[in-house]
Amino acid sequence: MAEVAVRTTQLGKTYNGGVCALHDLTLEVESGEIFGFLGPNGAGKTTTVKLLTGLLKPSAGSCSVFGLSPLKKPCEVHRLCGVMTESAKMYSQMTGLENLIFFARTAGIDAEAASERAEELLKQLDLWDVRSRKLREYSTGMAQRLSLARTLVNRPKILFLDEPTSGLDPESALAVNSMIASLASTEGVTVFLCTHQLRYAQDICERYGIIDKGALLACGSVEALSRSAGLRVRAALRLRENDTPVDFQRGEDGWWYTDMLQEDEMPALIKSLVSAGHDIYEARIIRPTLEDVYFRYIQSEDKEALL
Amino acid sequence: MKIVSPEEKSVIQKDFREIWDSKMARSTMMVVPVVLLIVLPIIFLAVILNAPMDQINGIDRMIKLLPAEEKGLSVRQAMMYLVTNMLFPMFFLIIPLMMSSVSAANSFVGERERGTLETLLLTPLSLKRIFRAKVFGCTFFSAVATAVSFVVFSVITAVGDILLEMPFFLNWNWLVLVFLLAPGITVFGVVFMVLISAKSKSYLESVQTSGYIVLPLIFLFIGPLSGLFQLNAFILLIIAAAVIAVDFPLWMIAAHSFSPEKLLR
Repeated sequence: MAEVAVRTTQLGKTYNGGVCALHDLTLEVESGEIFGFLGPNGAGKTTTVKLLTGLLKPSAGSCSVFGLSPLKKPCEVHRLCGVMTESAKMYSQMTGLENLIFFARTAGIDAEAASERAEELLKQLDLWDVRSRKLREYSTGMAQRLSLARTLVNRPKILFLDEPTSGLDPESALAVNSMIASLASTEGVTVFLCTHQLRYAQDICERYGIIDKGALLACGSVEALSRSAGLRVRAALRLRENDTPVDFQRGEDGWWYTDMLQEDEMPALIKSLVSAGHDIYEARIIRPTLEDVYFRYIQSEDKEALL
Repeated sequence: MKIVSPEEKSVIQKDFREIWDSKMARSTMMVVPVVLLIVLPIIFLAVILNAPMDQINGIDRMIKLLPAEEKGLSVRQAMMYLVTNMLFPMFFLIIPLMMSSVSAANSFVGERERGTLETLLLTPLSLKRIFRAKVFGCTFFSAVATAVSFVVFSVITAVGDILLEMPFFLNWNWLVLVFLLAPGITVFGVVFMVLISAKSKSYLESVQTSGYIVLPLIFLFIGPLSGLFQLNAFILLIIAAAVIAVDFPLWMIAAHSFSPEKLLR
């Protein structure tokens, strides 16, 4: 069984003003996994990251990162992790290279190794040409990539990334995502990815937690979440004009749709349609997307709140 | 054993650079010592050397402020003695206080304001080491700036003493000021700034708040000038001891209050 990288048990946080930002969060993330933590703004994602990295003290419950309590051993946790949040900025009067060297030095890396590591990351993140420019002269995308480089400077075992692709153009967002995926697959880095960019999340995450108003609504793979949300796999078929199969609904695009319990039903469905005399021009399976699952949970939560 | 680790040294160097790169901090830290300990002493010296003493109002009353053992001085020498021992000690003590509070405001409040404190708190450096590096850096910076200011001031005053054929100005009062009260005030300025840093919304607000701690200092030296009380080395020694004694508990409280939750509120 894989090592548990992140564990939270009934974790809660109420701020001084009485605002409950998180309650009763219980989840586990395995080592090497890319876990997508999804939710709208103000759902409690950043609070969770701050609790897991020791920047906040929990009001209830407990949490650990590779078995270490961020509350009791924040330095050890920081030694293992790289954290990128929207509020954690870098030094604007320093160049990209100087920033990375500084953060490498604070991680206990000696001057020569810090310089080498900084140069390696700048090249990897396509920032080599702007290494001598001050951070204040960087574009949003460049600054975001430099922040990602900072999180990697101490070769972390786990990355806490809060909206790492926000403000990035699609090309840079894809590059960042593929880098995150490659870190997990080649170096076994665990990634705790907070985002509301669902399409990017679906590309790289293995499991998801959906959070809203400080409460975890669901946790699991897209398939498991789809099942528990009552979302079904659908068969989509393009038939000859004016052909009308029984128990199918016609979509606006002219295709015919029907729900299936499992993907395995597709061959039998096609066989039965062909034997019934229908000509099938195209057929495909439509699986529920992360976006479908996410909105099903968030909207059902809103409806419950209204009731 | 090294006083600071390489990690702490990089934080200190980074803080120095940030202070230097801040136009407001840099100009304040350069202009104030230059005006208080270079320009004003030169002006006072020029006036004492050249102004017709019999035409200056209130000279007699000022000479009455001289301690008994200095009664034999000429009018010009008496004026030099008074400004050197009653006016410039106040100006001198403003330097460590201002240097420490401006550097600490930049290092603590400024870093929070710029959003970089959170990033620093996420490094493997412990809170204790970040606190120590920042306090040590600000104290060291203020101490060096104060020492340089004092050396320049000493040269100007020594020139005045030579021209006026007076003994060198450095007496027991000045020794207590330079070696005990100034370091005590430096630490006080840094620690006070740490204490208010969690509550200050901006760098400017924290510097303005630190202005209040100059008031007791002004009272301390306006008193003797107005004839209310006399300051001697012994009284200054007691004041220095009191400031240093206050520094320790304040340091402990400041270190205790230096927590991510309070700082990033």
